[in-house]
Amino acid sequence: MTKVFKWGFLIVLALFFVVPLLAMARFAFQSVPVALLTGETWLKGWSIDPIIAASTEPAMWTAARTSALLAVFTIILTLVLLLPLAIVTEIKAPRMRPWLTALTLLPWVVPPIALVVGVSVTFRTGAPWFLASVFSLVPFYALWAMPFTYRALDAGLQAISARTLYEAARSTGASFPTIILRVILPNMKASIVAAAALTTALVLGEFAFASLLLKETLPTFMVNFQQSQARAGLALALIILIFTALAIGIVVRTLRRRGLNVQTTGL
Amino acid sequence: MTLVEMRNIRKYFGESRALTDFSLTVNSGELVCLLGPSGCGKTTALRILAGFERADAGTIEVDSESIGSVPVEKRNFGMVFQDYSLFPNMTARQNIEFGLKSRKVSATQRRTTIDRMLHITDLGDQADKFPHQMSGGQKQRVALARAIATSPRVLLLDEPLSALDAKVRESLREEIRHLQREVGVTTVFVTHDQQEALAIADRVGVMSNGQLEQIATPRELYQNPQNSFVAKFIGTINRIPATSRTDGLWNVLDAILTGSRAGTELEHADGGIRPEDITVSATHQESANAIIEDSSFLGPITRVKLTLNGVTTVYADLLSINATPFIPGQPVFVGVRSDLENTIIF
Repeated sequence: MTKVFKWGFLIVLALFFVVPLLAMARFAFQSVPVALLTGETWLKGWSIDPIIAASTEPAMWTAARTSALLAVFTIILTLVLLLPLAIVTEIKAPRMRPWLTALTLLPWVVPPIALVVGVSVTFRTGAPWFLASVFSLVPFYALWAMPFTYRALDAGLQAISARTLYEAARSTGASFPTIILRVILPNMKASIVAAAALTTALVLGEFAFASLLLKETLPTFMVNFQQSQARAGLALALIILIFTALAIGIVVRTLRRRGLNVQTTGL
Repeated sequence: MTLVEMRNIRKYFGESRALTDFSLTVNSGELVCLLGPSGCGKTTALRILAGFERADAGTIEVDSESIGSVPVEKRNFGMVFQDYSLFPNMTARQNIEFGLKSRKVSATQRRTTIDRMLHITDLGDQADKFPHQMSGGQKQRVALARAIATSPRVLLLDEPLSALDAKVRESLREEIRHLQREVGVTTVFVTHDQQEALAIADRVGVMSNGQLEQIATPRELYQNPQNSFVAKFIGTINRIPATSRTDGLWNVLDAILTGSRAGTELEHADGGIRPEDITVSATHQESANAIIEDSSFLGPITRVKLTLNGVTTVYADLLSINATPFIPGQPVFVGVRSDLENTIIF
């Protein structure tokens, strides 16, 4: 009975995710309107032209490049800020952990619009050049990714029992920098990659900040592009989705094969 | 010769007392076990000695040199933890090497030491395995090798066997004992398992409520417990009504015994008698003082449960080869082994 229920549940869940994707793919790659779909026509009119149309759009590549750079800078910024914080909190002040967990969730309490308005008003008076660059999005994204990044790093620290490792290393006479560089960080590879992957997924999908600050990133480009070329736009969205999923999957599998356990608990 | 001396250590965690007035001396080359129920402060005592916690009051000396303010990494102690705590990114060999590198040991010297460690812990074929490829027992042996590789002044073991299954636990504790003798390292071993403590320690310190109740050799602890806590905590002990005699000795069952304290005029108390010091003989109804409740065969011994004078439950451990099969409800005469001289008065 429970088995039937389990499989039933899984099938419903799969349909919930897969049906819209299939519908999306059909719309993007088949030029037959739904109303005319019959037993004879359902194999007709398929082509990959929409993808070619999208990929020959130079603006798409510019936007993709911008988004990729934004992802890289955001990863660097969040790691520089949060990695030392997470490590030091765990090994030196574990009592602060609940506070940090709550604190890192705060950015999600503030809606993007309020954040953007608040920040832009502040910067427009003091440093207007800051908002001119597309990279002014980086701090916003870093802030937005904070709950994920911190939880991924913290889950990693818990999984390797960082505090005991730290104590064990100290008892053998190792200095603090040695412990961090040779014991803690190497064992956090998996969670650092998990944090980076989550940040990437977030940056590649973020629309509100970019749109409000009038920057052209991949998501804002796609929305505009879809308005002029609906099918090509959807084809592009689908490809990006599959590409991102594959990339994350490959990273996680490589890490697993090397005996590292990717922890995403708490997310 | 005294190597470690902890004097009047006090430690509070917020409102709760972990150690109230804890003093311990460990002699050079000795293996001392700290034994006690969970929450008695034994791990705190060890962590203070290691330097992971700071005592609120009291002094710690090693080699007559105060180390209270010396940081962990400068104390030159080896430590083994309950959950192995091997570095997952390093092989067995690299784990052992880690501490040697920190202590700036030369490469050739390192190789010699590692090979020796791998040899004495019988890990030769595991040298290049990563922790996740090893069993619990192997991991703990690597942890042990890592801890003693740096020739520490004191080896500290924090419940090193409790994560292992019974069989491995028993063989590893023999191995720890053997290693400790071979290397000659002064060792403090924390455990809640009395069999473990009694089996491997030179001296066992029984702790409760943040204090050391008694520290003595396993035999002394078992035969002459200084107070009722120790008597009850180590092994099984029966509480049998005792009456004092005019000469200060005590009457317990059919014997006259010296009590852990002198009795005052015809005072009533309980005397502690170990199950193996109880004798049981089949007898007639009229001279019986007890009734058999149950008996369980435990291999070499048979444990018999009786009711003495209709009220007191008494356990007797009889050698199985001598034990006549008793049946529940059978009237018997319960006495005390004739060569027993002392009893603890509760």
